Amino acid sequence: MSPREAAVESLSFEQLLARLQEAEETLDAIRLGHVDAVVVGGPQGQQVYTLENADRPYRAIIEQMQEGAFTIQAEGVLLYCNQRFATLLGRQRESLIGKPIGHYFGRGASAFMALLAHAGEAGTGAEFSLVHDSGEMIPVTVSLIELAGDLNTPRMICGVVTDLTRSLQRSHELTAANAQLASEIRDRQRAEAGLQLALDAAEMGYWDLDLTIGDGRTSRRHDDIFGYQDKLRDWSFGRFLEHVVVEDRAAVEKFFGVGRTAPSIEFSCRIERAGDGARRWLQVKGLSYSTPRGPRLSGVVIDMTKARETEEQLRQAQKMEAVGQLTGGLAHDFNNLLGGIIGSLEMIEARIAEGRVAEVERYVDVALHSAKRAASLTQRLLAFSRRQTLSPKIIDVNALVVGMEDLIRRSIGPSIRLEVIGAAGLWSTLVDPPQLENALLNLSINARDAMPHGGTLTIETANVRLDDGQANERDLQPGKYITLSVRDTGVGMSKEVASRAFDPFFTTKPLGQGTGLGLSMIYGFARQSGGQIQILSEKDRGTTITLYLPRNAAAPARIESDRRPLAADIEGAGKLVLVVDDEPSIRMLVAEVLNEAGFATLEASDGPSALRIMEMSAKIDLLITDVGLPGGMNGRQLADAVCALRPTMKILFITGYAENVVVGSGRLDHGMQVLTKPFTMNVLKKRIQQMLPG
Amino acid sequence: MSDPVDEDLQTQYKLRLFITGSTARSARAIENMRRICHEHLHDRYELVIIDVYENPQATKDLQIIATPTLVKILPEPLRRIIGDLSDKERVLAGLDIRPIEAKKVV
Repeated sequence: MSPREAAVESLSFEQLLARLQEAEETLDAIRLGHVDAVVVGGPQGQQVYTLENADRPYRAIIEQMQEGAFTIQAEGVLLYCNQRFATLLGRQRESLIGKPIGHYFGRGASAFMALLAHAGEAGTGAEFSLVHDSGEMIPVTVSLIELAGDLNTPRMICGVVTDLTRSLQRSHELTAANAQLASEIRDRQRAEAGLQLALDAAEMGYWDLDLTIGDGRTSRRHDDIFGYQDKLRDWSFGRFLEHVVVEDRAAVEKFFGVGRTAPSIEFSCRIERAGDGARRWLQVKGLSYSTPRGPRLSGVVIDMTKARETEEQLRQAQKMEAVGQLTGGLAHDFNNLLGGIIGSLEMIEARIAEGRVAEVERYVDVALHSAKRAASLTQRLLAFSRRQTLSPKIIDVNALVVGMEDLIRRSIGPSIRLEVIGAAGLWSTLVDPPQLENALLNLSINARDAMPHGGTLTIETANVRLDDGQANERDLQPGKYITLSVRDTGVGMSKEVASRAFDPFFTTKPLGQGTGLGLSMIYGFARQSGGQIQILSEKDRGTTITLYLPRNAAAPARIESDRRPLAADIEGAGKLVLVVDDEPSIRMLVAEVLNEAGFATLEASDGPSALRIMEMSAKIDLLITDVGLPGGMNGRQLADAVCALRPTMKILFITGYAENVVVGSGRLDHGMQVLTKPFTMNVLKKRIQQMLPG
Repeated sequence: MSDPVDEDLQTQYKLRLFITGSTARSARAIENMRRICHEHLHDRYELVIIDVYENPQATKDLQIIATPTLVKILPEPLRRIIGDLSDKERVLAGLDIRPIEAKKVV
């Protein structure tokens, strides 16, 4: 009994039945064609024999694919190829079968045959060129694999051919595109380097800020300007603001606020540099632009400190030049006046020597007149330099104008009509009355000169309220003002002239007829009084100059005119005056005048000795002191020390020019007055009478 | 004592389907087998599909002589069903599975 028979023997009847059924089913399926392949065991292992229909899908795939496919014998004779392979060669498929394939590899034939000899079941491949029927060479890769078969079957090799034409073309295009890109990058880098060089040459720092989140980037020069030795990694608006000095921050923030809406910004500000902490002036310019991620602002910073210093030096030089011009011009006037004084004094001396005392009075008048004109000239100079000390009073400007009417009428002559329009209920204002009178006279004379053939001069007052916009336009605080306008119907001014009218030394008058200081002095006075001056002019129609003066709610004082002659001596009996001056002649003169008027006087040559006298004598009623004193204590310091001892002490400063140390903001403390040299004894007496009434 | 229905439901099937590449018949056999497994065996089966081109030696152990052939290895006895498995009743009988609908009636 064979082993198979033994195995069958061991099975049950049911198992045998099942096996039989399975065998019959298998036979039926094969007989009916319900199978794709049969598997046959053999000495080379299990062999799969497919039926023809099972190969159909692969055939379809091979014919459809974009690669050429072929099978060849070991000697290279073509057994099969797909249509695509024939197309690659530009030939009919039928003409290729049976031909040696090496023929189509041109000069690569022997290399292909070598590859073919080594093609195993693991497969191999290389790049070749196929010769198209037209002679054109087609770049391809060829993959070869040996088909497994039994020992009796002849060796057969499958090949797949991929056309490289397009991919090579693509790769060439890519190479060209890369080269193009690289060249563009080089160009751009060159441009950027050039731009950087230009910015560096201009000493400009570059910055760029994101307006939404506030961060940004900067150039090396920018960081250098802000005092950083090394290039900063990050920059932000906040960091910039930290450098801006506290006083400028609000303005800078405002400028950047504008930058969010305006196309560009430009401003100057001061920064504190990192490292040495130096304050530097910066000019900042920027342009805004939008990005998909929000608005940005980009621009440059320039350190303007040196330019500003140079500018300041230039301004100083111009000032010195102006002073030189002024001095030269005034020296001439002064010499004339001094000539009058000295000449008169010599005449007086001669007449007295001759005993002709009665004739002296004439020369005294001449000398006095010249001296007064010289005094007025120095006043004008002080007004110009805005160093004059104002003694403001609350006044009714209408009353002042009425008081001046006569004088103005006489000054302008009969060919010009004068109209005075005083506003009813005009507010009072706090000004220095003589200065305002001077300004009004000056403006009236200017108006007269503008109307050589006659016309009308109108002086008008009014109340005005300036709102924020109007005040801003006039560089004033918003609020209530009175105006004093002087209008003529004269030749008018061109815009160029009007714009320079307030410049010192600017004059349209012929040489010798005007100093060019009038309007600039009035401007200085108006500004110092908290007001403004405005000029409206039209060529051939006339000019209106308007003074704005701030309203003061208090009741006006009565105007006293200095032009009125002073009434006799003062009642000085019983009053004690301390006179402090380092110049003995002045001390002596003042003391003599006082003594004549019945005052008792004490004298001191400097501050400390004056203080000692003050401490010893409690009865002193008035201190008259020079401002510039030797001994380490000036007149103002002396006054402060005296006030500490005697708060109600009256003090009169005598000074060649009103120094800031005396007057602080340009106005005097209560109980203090200033008398500017030169002054006449009459004025001195009157002033003392005012300060010590009764 | 265990419920025979429950026991039947717990039986694990170990199946092998031998096919030949991507022929239409192979595709039909795979499709039919998946449907039968899904409807009647739920997650109680392990089905491995073997392409005899890829793995001719696998046919030897299970004595496959033609494709497509489904082999039930477990539960025993081992059973081979040849063809594209389109006769569902025959397949179910061969696998020794009663249709679920039938069980519900019982």
